[in-house]
Amino acid sequence: MAEGPLRTAGIFVAACVCGVASGLFGIGGGVLLVPLLVLVFAFAQHRAQGTSLIALIPPTGVLAFAAYAKAGYVSWKTGLLLVPGVFVGGIVGGWLAKRLEPRRMRQVFAGLMFALGAWQAVGAWWG
Amino acid sequence: MTTLIVLLLGLGVGVLVGLLGIGGGVVLVPALVYLLHMDQHLAQGTSLFILLPPVGLGALREYWKQGHVDLRAGIFCALGMLIGGYLGGLIAVPLASRELKGLFGCFLMLAAVLLWRKPQPPREQTTSTAEEAAHG
Repeated sequence: MAEGPLRTAGIFVAACVCGVASGLFGIGGGVLLVPLLVLVFAFAQHRAQGTSLIALIPPTGVLAFAAYAKAGYVSWKTGLLLVPGVFVGGIVGGWLAKRLEPRRMRQVFAGLMFALGAWQAVGAWWG
Repeated sequence: MTTLIVLLLGLGVGVLVGLLGIGGGVVLVPALVYLLHMDQHLAQGTSLFILLPPVGLGALREYWKQGHVDLRAGIFCALGMLIGGYLGGLIAVPLASRELKGLFGCFLMLAAVLLWRKPQPPREQTTSTAEEAAHG
């Protein structure tokens, strides 16, 4: 894999776009970063996922979070209850990812996500 | 009861975090909206809150052991996401909840298409076994 400065700059710009999505939609951004690394920067699937997880270790959403918190848009109690589950689940998922051929799993997930997105968009604008 | 639902929800989201290398917010936000009847803004803020601690650290360890990590690219991604995230937050907060919910839905559909599309790997003999394992 070439490590040119142009490629690095490209990855940085792509990550900025993922960051906007992260702040705008309250997500980690990995769901956009992983496919971009694979499709645009030719990462292998596992490597893209591992790299995305690295990018999610520092609190990259902290500035976005501050904007939400200032506006009162945070449920602290629910958040605290979710953290341990996500952490433990993450270990299980990482262990599973080594053992599964992740393509089918990803496609099932993408299908579900598409349906969920369509449901939410229709519900918001035509519900 | 709600506490139990929230704990289990966290576990389910966590499995996806490890399996797909994502933050998990993309599943968590709709789950908070539909299961716990949160407002769209509140769900998104809460999702950002749980992403503050390194919840993916356990999953990362598994990838690290296999050498599936590009540290340098990861650092640049983190920087880009920090800056982009600030802009995204500024855009989202003043939006009407209804608009934000609709936009979120459109984003999910786009991300789903991107996630689905990828260069076809060579056909593998083990695919059917992996599929059974995934479903079983």
